[in-house]
Amino acid sequence: MKKLININFLFLLILAVSFASCKKEYGNLNSPTVEDYLDNASIDQLNNLVSGTESAMRNNLGLYLDDIGVLGREMYRFSGADPRYVTDLLGGGNSTLSNSGFYITNVWSSRYRVVKNCNVLEEAAANSTYISEAEKKGYSGFAKTIKAYQLLLVLNLTSKNGIRVDVADPKNLGPILNETDALTAIATLLDEANTELASAQVDFPLSDGFEGFKDAAGLAKFNRALAARVAVYRKQWSAALSALEGSFYSLDGDFNTGVYDVFGTGSGDQLNSAFFPQNQAGEVRLAHPSYATEIEASDDRIGKASMRTAPTSSSGLTSDRDVWVYTSSTAPVPIIRNEELILIYAEANIQLGGAGLNNAVSALNKIRTKHNLGVYSGAVTQSDLVTEMLKQRRYSLFFEGHRWIDMRRYDLLSTLPIDRPEDDIWSEFPIPNTEQ
Amino acid sequence: MMRKLILFAAWLLCILFLPGRLFAQDRTITGKITDQNAIPLANVSVFIAKTNIGTITDGEGKFSLSVPPNTTLLVSSAGYKTQTIKVDNTVGDIQVKLLEDVSKLEEVVVTGLATSVKRRNLANSIATISSKELQGTAPAQTFDAALNGKIPGAYINANTGAPGGGLSVKLRGVTSIFGNTQPLYVVDGVFMDNTATSAGLNAVTGAATGGNSSTQDNPSSRIADLRSEDIENIEILKGASAAAIYGSKAAAGVIIITTKRGKQGKTRVSFSQDLGYSQVRKLLGTRPLSESIVQGQGWDVEEYKAAVAAGKIYNYEKEMYGNTGFTRNSVLSMTGGTDKTSFYFSAATKKEEGIIARTGYGNNSFRLNVDHRITNNIKIGISTNYINSSSDRGLTGNDNSGVTYGIALSSTPSFTELHPDVNGQYPRNKYAASNPIETRDKMTNNENVNRFVTGLNLDAILQKGGKSTTRFIARGGFDFYNLVTTALFPSSLQFQTVNKGTSIQGFTKNMNTNYILSLVNAYTPSDKLSLTTSAGITQETGDYNNLLNVATQVIAGQSNVDQAGALTASQFRTKVQDNGIFMQEEASIIDAITLTAGVRFDKSTNNGDPNQYYTYPKAGISWNLTKMDFWKGSFFENFKVRAAYGQAGNFPAYGSKFTSMPISNITGLPGSVVSTQQGEKNIKPETQTELEAGFDFSIFKGRLSMEFSYYNKNVYDFLMLNTLPSSSGFTNQWVNAGDLRNEGIEIGLNAQPVVTKKIRWNTTVNFWFNRSKVTKLTIPPVQLGSFGVALGTFQIEQGKSATQIIGLTDEPGYTVPIKVWGDQEPRFQMNSFNEITFNNRLSLRFLVHWKYKGDNINLTNLLNDLGGTSADFDSDNNKNGVPDGVDRIHKIGSTATEFIQNSGYLRFREIGMYYSFNRLPGKLVKALRLGVSLNNYITITNYAGYDPEVSNFGTGFSTGVDVDPFPASKHAAFHISVDF
Repeated sequence: MKKLININFLFLLILAVSFASCKKEYGNLNSPTVEDYLDNASIDQLNNLVSGTESAMRNNLGLYLDDIGVLGREMYRFSGADPRYVTDLLGGGNSTLSNSGFYITNVWSSRYRVVKNCNVLEEAAANSTYISEAEKKGYSGFAKTIKAYQLLLVLNLTSKNGIRVDVADPKNLGPILNETDALTAIATLLDEANTELASAQVDFPLSDGFEGFKDAAGLAKFNRALAARVAVYRKQWSAALSALEGSFYSLDGDFNTGVYDVFGTGSGDQLNSAFFPQNQAGEVRLAHPSYATEIEASDDRIGKASMRTAPTSSSGLTSDRDVWVYTSSTAPVPIIRNEELILIYAEANIQLGGAGLNNAVSALNKIRTKHNLGVYSGAVTQSDLVTEMLKQRRYSLFFEGHRWIDMRRYDLLSTLPIDRPEDDIWSEFPIPNTEQ
Repeated sequence: MMRKLILFAAWLLCILFLPGRLFAQDRTITGKITDQNAIPLANVSVFIAKTNIGTITDGEGKFSLSVPPNTTLLVSSAGYKTQTIKVDNTVGDIQVKLLEDVSKLEEVVVTGLATSVKRRNLANSIATISSKELQGTAPAQTFDAALNGKIPGAYINANTGAPGGGLSVKLRGVTSIFGNTQPLYVVDGVFMDNTATSAGLNAVTGAATGGNSSTQDNPSSRIADLRSEDIENIEILKGASAAAIYGSKAAAGVIIITTKRGKQGKTRVSFSQDLGYSQVRKLLGTRPLSESIVQGQGWDVEEYKAAVAAGKIYNYEKEMYGNTGFTRNSVLSMTGGTDKTSFYFSAATKKEEGIIARTGYGNNSFRLNVDHRITNNIKIGISTNYINSSSDRGLTGNDNSGVTYGIALSSTPSFTELHPDVNGQYPRNKYAASNPIETRDKMTNNENVNRFVTGLNLDAILQKGGKSTTRFIARGGFDFYNLVTTALFPSSLQFQTVNKGTSIQGFTKNMNTNYILSLVNAYTPSDKLSLTTSAGITQETGDYNNLLNVATQVIAGQSNVDQAGALTASQFRTKVQDNGIFMQEEASIIDAITLTAGVRFDKSTNNGDPNQYYTYPKAGISWNLTKMDFWKGSFFENFKVRAAYGQAGNFPAYGSKFTSMPISNITGLPGSVVSTQQGEKNIKPETQTELEAGFDFSIFKGRLSMEFSYYNKNVYDFLMLNTLPSSSGFTNQWVNAGDLRNEGIEIGLNAQPVVTKKIRWNTTVNFWFNRSKVTKLTIPPVQLGSFGVALGTFQIEQGKSATQIIGLTDEPGYTVPIKVWGDQEPRFQMNSFNEITFNNRLSLRFLVHWKYKGDNINLTNLLNDLGGTSADFDSDNNKNGVPDGVDRIHKIGSTATEFIQNSGYLRFREIGMYYSFNRLPGKLVKALRLGVSLNNYITITNYAGYDPEVSNFGTGFSTGVDVDPFPASKHAAFHISVDF
């Protein structure tokens, strides 16, 4: 009997051991985790974060351009599946912009997601023992520049409602800054990045959207171009001109020199969501009729609003021209390019006045002549030149996300056309309800 | 306890090393079993008490069996009261008349992982569905659809009318908001996987890019693969008080399915064939047009005039959904066995066409269940099932690209030409992003499953004495399937101008395994007391691997993903292992009082801490008063009071503890980007406690019985995807966010109002309702499950019903113009199943289901209004001189009143009439049965959409959102079955 009990005891022991031995933790099978990156990342891992950052900048980019394009009456966006492009965004009927509408929440979260990725990149680079100090500055300078750019895009939408800038700790988010303070913070961030890039070494791979700007010096030029844009938004005209000097601004250069979001058909890549084929039905982007009626004869920029085979209507809105700025599903979308820099140069000079007015006229003439127009023949006064500058910005930067912001900067939103009696022109988007 | 365990283990060892002892079998007895009216009963079990030895009766009710001297026989059959017959020195045939068990008191119900008890002594209200109720009236297309309307206490909703189904089953209210809301299905001891795998249609529809991140692909539920013809019996454990022994998987309830098994006796072959058709249940109609309407819509007036002149005004809705689908179903089954081995085999094939051309559902299955007695003490049962199912589901539901049939039709006027010209060229649809007729004719959306399920059940008697019997029961198995989803969109389609042909191919491999090892001791020290002790260990594993390839720029006529200019691949894997230990004690005192107590300890790799055990206890008591001396001879045949309490859990979703870094590439450079979902390291399972109490009684010799139950079910630490301020970079995070409560009442009535020689009427009536309340919420109120307040949305909010629907209002008196417009929860539901038999030959059966109130969010009519195609656009019911369609459009943004609609209904789900021929010429055919049936034929509802049963978001929390679904269908069929 005793022996039997021993055998039984053994049996139970086996049972018990079989339990203890099934301690298991599978980990995340589908992707790395943030913790993997923060714990002494390798160069490859840091580079993955750089590419991820670049890639994620394109999330909801088409929607961002739609937001600014529709509110700024550059275009109509018709969608069989979502009426809110012609109700909320245009203030049709009693509709207003909602703080839970996809048009703000999706863009807001996509931009902040990139900001988060930049923060992870900065922290991962700081924690990594595989890279030199100069390399760390390269990663950090890149991350800060992109972060500043993403914050600027969000601020473009929410304007005087402000944005949150300090978002490093998800559990302890900083306050929502007003527009002025937010712009200051963005400018500061760009300046910090510029300083870091000056003594940085950049070996990480960037997409061809950064062609010509892939090294530390190139990134610094990109950084200064953004700084010039921020400066004009802040009405710091001299600062704008000095930022232009550090940038890739070139009065005689190719208008399209610059940095772009690029697209591809590869695995895990994205197509340009701002592209629709011409003459499509259902899901369409149409140029606002005023684009064609107000353009000067012979302006080649009419090509950005191509004639449809038949006009299309929805909810009392009609247009016979498609938006035709991005002409393929892999056409790049500019982040910032020389044509805008020339217009920034013109704007800063107009605002500084004096001899600047003539500099502005010659800059505006560069734009006009390259677009098959005669030279500027209006009065060389500050106010007439502002009008001309805004007009050139309207046509040169059509559907690149500027018109609505420009009209707001100059307090001219009320001059935008209202197509239906009950429509409204909004001056800013509400802060998403999740931020309250 | 320990001592006992050691004893069990000793016996286990003995059994493994000693040959089984054999009984002395020295006499053969024969007999005949009939019902009250002397009609022979087939398939009745005749067993020697306390053994596994027995047989079943043949078609004439006869049996023969070898028995030792002084034997007690147990004669039992589903639906009849069990009889005990003492066989001492009986000579000649034994005649037994079985009494019908209208009140189902004799039914044996599973109460533990390895133990069972008769309903008479049950402490819980456990619903059972017999094979006849499941599919004997008007067979549904899939197994899960066959459950609809049959479970008291459940809210079952068909998500879509698409072939292959997709059902949402909620037992006793909402038990989880973001966690698993669907019950666990256990088939012959095997945990069946019920994961819904999306076919990746979002790559074309873009449904997830708009207001809601769900793909809204509406895949079918995998439990639909199961064949209802193979099912003998279903038991539904609705809450923790009954299901606690399933521990952390049981929070949403457990559905225990037992398939048919062979029995000793002559081999019997039967064949049944169904033929029928399916049609759309309801169409919404189209808008009558005139020139001024066409003008007003901004449509092409010239085109309209030309179409009128040519007589080419079409009804595209009817063309799309008006197909009459042919349906067929054939089942061949065979059962038989010797005293040692018995088997059940079935082979079945089913093909059903949908109400949209080129849609349909097919299912082929084989099942072989074998039982074998190795020795008199060791019994082994094997169940194997191979299933191949295929469904072509079309392209319906919500999207953001205007490509699904419904969305495209919503803006397409009846005068535009969508049909192909003589060369087969489809015209471009000027009024929508796609030509739905072309899409229907050219696209493919197929789900094809090959599934293999095998279960093993070992039952060994380790020790048997006068007072104590100890058994070792091992039960387990695996469920493996391979799911291939194919979605093809050729480049010639109108919406493929950018992608130039899309081929989406998904490959999913899933393997679930589980086992339960247990020791069960039945100890009967005296007539007045019996104790059943069980204890054991369990393990469940899951391994899911989904590979989804989206190829675009596909070479014409090709579908292989390499025949393409661009390819995006994604892979998603989950892996989980859960381990449990359980113990349970059941005591029966003077056959009147039954006490049950049990506990289960569970851990899972999905928990924040994978090594922590969570405890799930349960206890129950039932007291059958009629067994007491002081109640004997009363008016009641049976009266029982009962109460039960239990806890169960629900593990966090896979991956909720990680902040992952999904892939995001750019021009060939691999990139990682922080997920929008923040990980929560300390995530823990939801726990549920349920208290159930009630009483059952039966009167008039069991011809009328009633069950009354009240339950109170509390879910603690329910899992929520908390919405985060997205400036953090994250949009949401899993949290244990609060508590909610479900309370409800279930009343069941079984009766036999008429029983004569000629007519027998059996009826079941059930009434039930549930009320939920969020009792605690540690995060701000969360809107979820729809498209925001403008269109109506669910909102989880402390102190409110968990399924409330809120939306904008323009009524005065609201500081924030938002009010509660409705609730998805029905006020109550009722069902009634009836069977009326004439002359034992002709049988009429019907199931009627009444859902009283409960709201849907109906956006289908909104889309038709916006597209200017709704049938009632130009009526003016409020007589304000403005068309109703325009009125409704103007209300968008100020009130959501139009979208929240009462979705109550009264539905004759199943009506069937069958005639049995018992005496047939010749010896070959033993029985023949003919029948006709109607499924979903009569529905009375005020609901304005296609069908009140709908769910754009599929299975999960937010059922009842209606966005251009695949319309519901009704079925009619003719049945013939032959026994050989």
